[in-house]
Amino acid sequence: MRQLMKSIGALAAMALLGAGITQVAAHHSASMFDFSRTAAVKGSVVELRWVNPHVTLTLNGSSSAGEAPAEWLMETTSPGNLVRVGGWRRDAIKPGEQVEVLFHPLREEGKKSGLMRQLTVLATGEVFKANIREQEMPGLE
Amino acid sequence: MKPAPLCVVLAGLAALLVAPPMVSAQAPKKTPTVINPPPTAQDWADIAKLPDWSGVWNPKITDQDAQVKSNPPPWNEVAGKKVEQMFAEEKAGRPRLIFANCLPEAHPSWMLVTHNAMEILFTPGRVTMLGESDGNRIRRIYTDGRGHPEASDPTFHGHSIGHWEGDTLVVDTVDILPQAPLAISEAVGLPNNGDMHVIERIHLAEKDILHDDLEIIAPKILTKPWKTTRIFFRQRARKFDIVEGVCATGDLAERVNAEGDHIFVPVEKSEWGHTTAVPTK
Repeated sequence: MRQLMKSIGALAAMALLGAGITQVAAHHSASMFDFSRTAAVKGSVVELRWVNPHVTLTLNGSSSAGEAPAEWLMETTSPGNLVRVGGWRRDAIKPGEQVEVLFHPLREEGKKSGLMRQLTVLATGEVFKANIREQEMPGLE
Repeated sequence: MKPAPLCVVLAGLAALLVAPPMVSAQAPKKTPTVINPPPTAQDWADIAKLPDWSGVWNPKITDQDAQVKSNPPPWNEVAGKKVEQMFAEEKAGRPRLIFANCLPEAHPSWMLVTHNAMEILFTPGRVTMLGESDGNRIRRIYTDGRGHPEASDPTFHGHSIGHWEGDTLVVDTVDILPQAPLAISEAVGLPNNGDMHVIERIHLAEKDILHDDLEIIAPKILTKPWKTTRIFFRQRARKFDIVEGVCATGDLAERVNAEGDHIFVPVEKSEWGHTTAVPTK
């Protein structure tokens, strides 16, 4: 039985490696993003992954006029921090809604990905902020 | 089992009768023969005399950031070179994953670098710190007068005993796993490599500001004890609760399979930890 479990474990590990998946979930630094640059992308929400420690947003959109729409992947802080700093909820935005995202792009050129700092729902103008350090500002009581 | 002689039973009863009631200012004393006794009504009443640490406490991250430069640990030569390399990698956009695999940030790094909230619970004989993210886990600080165990059994958060000096909780922690990092940011920190000892004085600096004054003794990587204060703030008028955070879900996407079952499937991550691809629905 023990041998069988070992074999299953080895097969599972090989399957993950074969799929190119690296299992390294963790609290991580954001220095892979370029904090000196802030960009914007407008598009349609595909999915908000409400997961810890880093929520992700996938959207189809363009970062400049005339650019062909493409899929963008944004990462941001944790659900708890988003609730506190920006009034986010798991269902704050829904698939298909048109949004504008401000973000710090990945340093790696050509990647449609970044660290989300703010999201605006275009139909309502509602703004959701995502910079956890902003909650330290006075006057929030 | 042989019954205890009558004189031993009477001596035990006498000791219980003369034992002082639990008060807010406890000094460390010998390990009691009975631990985790059922709390009395007086024990619960004494809780009301303690300072008000209720609510959700958030770390002041801007102060954590500032102390990276203003108050670095006194790394020894070997550790200092490794830290220098980590800073260089972070600056180059290749941050080292020192909290990989969703292991706890551990003590004292949870206090030092967390970006998430915590709450603090008082019960008779115990102070309990609950982190928002399971990467932070939990700290159990025994305030019932017990000492540290004679046999070492290292854990991520070590063995903590505490006592009150006025409104300050003094905590002494040993038996921390040697693998637990001493971190100054999410990308810079080193395994403590054993024999780490942490002394804390936790107190309200203002009505809604909590200070954790730490003295960290890590002889394998530091040349002398390192003192630092970490700041947590509370926003009373804001209705926030702790939000459950399960670190492993960061590797997963919520999906429904062909059988209609709600399941988790893996996403792709970079070697530095950020999400690089999410499977389509």
